[in-house]
Amino acid sequence: MRTSKYGRRRRTVVRLAACSAALTLLLTGCSGGSSSSAGGRVTLSFTWWGNDDRALRTNKAVALFEKKHPGVKVRTSTAGYEAYVQKLATQAAGGDLPDVAQLDYRQISQYAGSGTLLDLGPYMKDGTLRTAEFDKSLLRTGVYDSTQVALPMGQGTTGFTYDSKIFAKAGVPKPKPGWTWDDWADAGRKITALGLKGPDGRAFTGLTDIGVNEDIFEDWLRGHGKQLYSGERQLGFTAKDLTAFWTFCDRLRREKVVSQAKDTAQLGGAIDESPMGRRLAATDFTWDSPYLGYPPLLGDQIRFAPVPTTAGRAGQYFKPTMLVGVGAHSAHPKQAAELVDFLLNDPEAGKILGVNRSAPPNQAIAKSISKDLKGPDKEVYDYERRVAAYGVDAPPKAPPRGDVALQVAFTRCYQQVIYERQSPARAAAEFLSEARRELR
Amino acid sequence: MTSVLRTTPRPADAAPSSTPEGRRPRRERQGPAYIFLSPWILGAVLLTLAPMAVSLYLSFTDYNLFDPPHWVGLRNYTEMFTEDPRYWRSVRTTLLYVVVAVPLKLGFALAVALLLKGMRKGKGFYRSAFYAPSLLGASMSVALVWRALYNDGGTVDEILSGIGIHTGGWVSDPSLAVFVVALLSVWQFGAPMVIFLAGLQQIPGDLYEAASIDGAGRTRQFISVTLPMLSPVLFFNLVLETIQSFQVFTPAFAISGGKGGPADSTNFYTLYLYERAFSASHMGYASAMAWILLLAIGAVTLVIFRTSRSWVFYANEGA
Repeated sequence: MRTSKYGRRRRTVVRLAACSAALTLLLTGCSGGSSSSAGGRVTLSFTWWGNDDRALRTNKAVALFEKKHPGVKVRTSTAGYEAYVQKLATQAAGGDLPDVAQLDYRQISQYAGSGTLLDLGPYMKDGTLRTAEFDKSLLRTGVYDSTQVALPMGQGTTGFTYDSKIFAKAGVPKPKPGWTWDDWADAGRKITALGLKGPDGRAFTGLTDIGVNEDIFEDWLRGHGKQLYSGERQLGFTAKDLTAFWTFCDRLRREKVVSQAKDTAQLGGAIDESPMGRRLAATDFTWDSPYLGYPPLLGDQIRFAPVPTTAGRAGQYFKPTMLVGVGAHSAHPKQAAELVDFLLNDPEAGKILGVNRSAPPNQAIAKSISKDLKGPDKEVYDYERRVAAYGVDAPPKAPPRGDVALQVAFTRCYQQVIYERQSPARAAAEFLSEARRELR
Repeated sequence: MTSVLRTTPRPADAAPSSTPEGRRPRRERQGPAYIFLSPWILGAVLLTLAPMAVSLYLSFTDYNLFDPPHWVGLRNYTEMFTEDPRYWRSVRTTLLYVVVAVPLKLGFALAVALLLKGMRKGKGFYRSAFYAPSLLGASMSVALVWRALYNDGGTVDEILSGIGIHTGGWVSDPSLAVFVVALLSVWQFGAPMVIFLAGLQQIPGDLYEAASIDGAGRTRQFISVTLPMLSPVLFFNLVLETIQSFQVFTPAFAISGGKGGPADSTNFYTLYLYERAFSASHMGYASAMAWILLLAIGAVTLVIFRTSRSWVFYANEGA
């Protein structure tokens, strides 16, 4: 690498400034040790985001890896998604990405484009990383600029978790693949008409307002034959499309069929903060791995249904629930690759990890653990096969840089609608102008 | 700085004459001084001046933390003023906050200081008790407690519901959320209160005596004696609190969970700046925002200084 002396100095100064700025804001970035090898022992760092169950299972798998690879020690750390993403970005900026890091689909372009992720190609060639059992279209989601920079850790898709008891009570038939958005809205109307009450005496609504979630908008959009992005610098939809989606949601909110503004505004990562988790709504849009958190919280009557279609056309798709990559500056890339291979391909590790990151990408492992699955775990596995049988399109290319900010902007712009500060059309116009600036 | 060093008393006269090769004595004595000062000089240069210079440079670039910054001229500034509705929302929110929180906080501080001044017993206890929130105030935990108090189903909501006023939680109401942050600031009135108290004790008692002989009641005394005599202290507190209020961050961050919500209603200037920098990775834009904030605070402070000529009274002026 040939960096001019001036350029290097400037970067250092810039980093220094960024560090001190971060310090002033009491952010805990900038440090975060990478690997070290004291006394002949190799220490790897491995980070991920997720719930306690994931932490428990992952640590167990890592312990097994350490047993099988004496001389390698793995220092693990975990956090909630938002804190994790911010910390990782600061680490990446300092050239200090952990040896092995769990990544989101939306981060791939940003990290790979700046050279913070290791090219995994050589390790796949020499057999350290085995991908023969992977689905090819899923494997491609970890490719940036024809370089494999990450591997999928799980395969997931979206759906609606719903309370089957309440559905039955309202006389709504069990949702089947191919049900439409009108069916969905009707279900909401029937359930709301029951006049149920939430725990603190507040009205129980049929549905959770989906207008705040860009993921569900993407499904809706694909059902209409469009997509979120049509290129690195361009959206694949117009203000008219977004206005139509938000008008649909807003109308249901005014009818009090979907959750009300202040409950919708609380939607975040945590299940128990969602209207459904707080027993204020009968359905919630979610990914299939977080769905597993609902039955323990709300009871066995909770089921999982496919995303409604637009006149039979499904918009949902299989996406890597998360990917795993190796830091470009890792001091022990070989051992890091071994750890990744172990997590993805070792049958014992596969059994320990289960479906916490959704169905394993290694299809042999997926098949073998599917036999032992029970309850919601089994339901997710069957659900994916049912959705695949109905037919879904291939996943889109990894989203462009700036997408992370737009996902947040989407929620914020819709909040202006539910608090009745802006019309759906005006909020959509604001989102599009923000998108233009982010993708520039 | 050098002038200060020159006036320091000379040590024994033997020292300069003992230097060989005729080195200049003054420099020799300055050396140790600079060595002892170096931590502070280094700190000022490395942690304040250099980052400021870099930030000014970055404000003319597009910099995402990952790739080297590239020069975009004034684009960050023009974007801020002409294309970004959120920027103006954050300006409005911050101004609203300053206009509400500063007078309320100062009024509260002065009222409590007046109460404490007349107290004979337990003054020390109350002074500490009222000052404590200011010490705790900047902490995340207090802001979180505050959030819980004003949340949907929180204590305030329940008490108000008990007397028949249904608000449904202030934190999740975009028109009320900003006042939750303002109230948290008012609750931390301890620091200006202590300064007011010190100022009140400086007012000579004979002024009150003279006023009461002239037949002035308590209100009259307050308006004609206390306020003018206290005006320099009031001025000091006003400047300090205004500057601080423009930079409100921690409570807004905690109360809105770092997002400035609901519907951008608690997206204060600094919170938006932080979000641009660390969530959206637009360091250049954030730097430009920081410089505009600096200029704005400078301008407001200047205005306060200018108006102070007509209302701040110094005791020796009339003499």
